[in-house]
Amino acid sequence: MPASTAPDPGEVPDIDLVKRCQAGDTRAFDVLVSRYRGRIYAMTYHMIQNETEAWDLAQEAFIKAWRALPRFKMDSAFYTWLYRITHNVVYDWLRKKKIQGEGEFDDSRTEHRVAAGAEAVPRGDAAPDTALKNAELGARIQQAIAKLSPEHKQVILLREVEGMAYEEIAATVPCSLGTVMSRLFYARKKLQELLRDCYENTD
Amino acid sequence: MKTPTEEHDLLRWLDGEMSAAEKAAFESRLTADPALKAEAELMQRLSADLRTHLPAEMPVPYADFFNSQIQVRLAQDENQQLSAPAAEGWFGWLRKPWLTPAFAAAAIAMAALTMWQNGAPSEGTNSLVNSIYVPNSAVQARAFHSDEAQATVLMLDGLEEMPADRKIVGFNIGRSEVDEAVAATTLFGADGKAVAVMAKDARNQPLLLTSTTPRG
Repeated sequence: MPASTAPDPGEVPDIDLVKRCQAGDTRAFDVLVSRYRGRIYAMTYHMIQNETEAWDLAQEAFIKAWRALPRFKMDSAFYTWLYRITHNVVYDWLRKKKIQGEGEFDDSRTEHRVAAGAEAVPRGDAAPDTALKNAELGARIQQAIAKLSPEHKQVILLREVEGMAYEEIAATVPCSLGTVMSRLFYARKKLQELLRDCYENTD
Repeated sequence: MKTPTEEHDLLRWLDGEMSAAEKAAFESRLTADPALKAEAELMQRLSADLRTHLPAEMPVPYADFFNSQIQVRLAQDENQQLSAPAAEGWFGWLRKPWLTPAFAAAAIAMAALTMWQNGAPSEGTNSLVNSIYVPNSAVQARAFHSDEAQATVLMLDGLEEMPADRKIVGFNIGRSEVDEAVAATTLFGADGKAVAVMAKDARNQPLLLTSTTPRG
């Protein structure tokens, strides 16, 4: 379950708003948009890393959600359902744009695995931890995430940003648990490789 | 290289997916295997940094505009569902009583942008987009008006990239006259001069027949 989906006390519960939406109340939907736009935008932004495109895709996700709401059976939390729609919107966009990183789709391809001893920079490089400020690390992480394939980017974001359990990730993607774990492991190793200079001098 | 099982154990430990017994057994292995422990700690640091630098929630730029555009799209959806094939089309609303100068209306064409506006063009306030006409079905037009900013933004999605020197023209329309005999509508500017003539095409959609050089 994605983290922090519980409404604040006094807030109209999602389920009540959803019922009003299903009766055609666009104002109720506006409340849901306001409630979740920041999280949906964050998801699209992390995947796309382009403010304008992420903004448009987040909008598209909400519009698709509105159109699909009559078929929403409320068998999951609204946000989980919305998140899956957003995921599909982003993924379709990525496929159309053919934006793919180095990892590609075939998890069985061991040549993509990063050797545990691989180094991105020489150990002797003078990159003291004092020089690596927090903001710089953030920028490096964004750059590293951008280099992942959509599939690897997706699972690492679902896990680390949304806090989803493996089974939820598998249901969202959708794929098998084994694929989730393989992609997660590869994504982390790849990020380690890309960020190695950030970490090895801070030991 | 680790076996897939070893990789999965490391992952499951890292992500808290192990039972208490599995966790205790894996942590015993960490104690006995410094290399594995070092890798596990590195992955933990990476995970923590990812969570720190990839926020689950971000401020949406122009958040009010974000919401209003969604409402516009929902309204467009509803209008499309309601409109029958033999709908009166664009000319219908030209004749509607609510199109009186109490509000303004705007129409967008690929080469012409027409605005109905109350009062002198220079006043520029109380502009409200009631309807948008886009002759190219591949293009979606949306409008957002802010009384506070005294501005109306017209957005065209799906338009092919245009040269920077391409002119986007606009008209301030004071009134319109419908000539039933020739099935055409003449649009007059605020100064009383005719600025455009429009008709219907074979699909009952608006068609710009001619226009004068617009102001600015």
